[in-house]
Amino acid sequence: MNTNQDKKWEALLALSASTFAGESTLPYGFITSMLAQLRLEQQQERQLGRLCWRAILASLAALMVAAGITISVHRHFNQGDDFDPGMRGLIQMENVQAS
Amino acid sequence: MDQPIDVARCLQRWQKGDESAAEELIAYLYPVISRIVRIHLPRREHEDDLIQEVLMKTFARLHQYKGNAPLTHWVSRLALTTCLDKLRAQKIRPEIRWADLTPEESAIFDATWLEGSTRDATDAIYARDLVDKLLSTLEAEDRSLILMVDLEGHSLEEISETTGWGISKIKMRLFRIRNQLRKTIQTLEQRP
Repeated sequence: MNTNQDKKWEALLALSASTFAGESTLPYGFITSMLAQLRLEQQQERQLGRLCWRAILASLAALMVAAGITISVHRHFNQGDDFDPGMRGLIQMENVQAS
Repeated sequence: MDQPIDVARCLQRWQKGDESAAEELIAYLYPVISRIVRIHLPRREHEDDLIQEVLMKTFARLHQYKGNAPLTHWVSRLALTTCLDKLRAQKIRPEIRWADLTPEESAIFDATWLEGSTRDATDAIYARDLVDKLLSTLEAEDRSLILMVDLEGHSLEEISETTGWGISKIKMRLFRIRNQLRKTIQTLEQRP
């Protein structure tokens, strides 16, 4: 079906066709600005990569410090027996009363 | 794209940090991207900015290019997707009435009948404005689709390859778009 409206559309499109044609030659300075932008992008990527590595290393270090503290505190309170401080107090109280 | 380049070798050189390879790729891809951007350019969007955006995306994703299809096909798809993303952000006009046309557009609407030959460059610009107005009532994908078929003369298979849509979906869409365009043009003809 090719209605009058279809023909009108085709005619308008044909009339305007030249305005849709792309440029084959690059505008002056386009390559230079594109290369500058690419360099900037790469630089930012590298910086971001470095930042990420630093953040990962810092997190690992913080995690290791926290683990170290936890272990040393745990050891400090558990020296000598298998009971936690509250339980040890109760046992001591029991011993006192028994004696 | 006047002088063909060795794309594979250019890509290798670019990956090794050779800037002259980037220059060659930009010069090679520019006409392809420029054509797509000009056809599917959203209103109020600056052409050079959009071309630059597509090129930046291209270089950022070059590592994803497997070389199964020509680089220009891969870049065309990227350019079209970028334009569609921008077009989707624009509002669709519910309808166009005769009063919405400028005097020049009205004159072109009346004068253009079954011929389509360009009398002068100004007529082409007014006709383009009118075409843009007609297209502004369509969804982003529909706008691009009808131009790929009616303006660029792409086959359904080519469109399917570029857009990733199935043939039957494209046919359905085209049927709907044509009906909508007919309705809009009919409304203008009645001049309410």
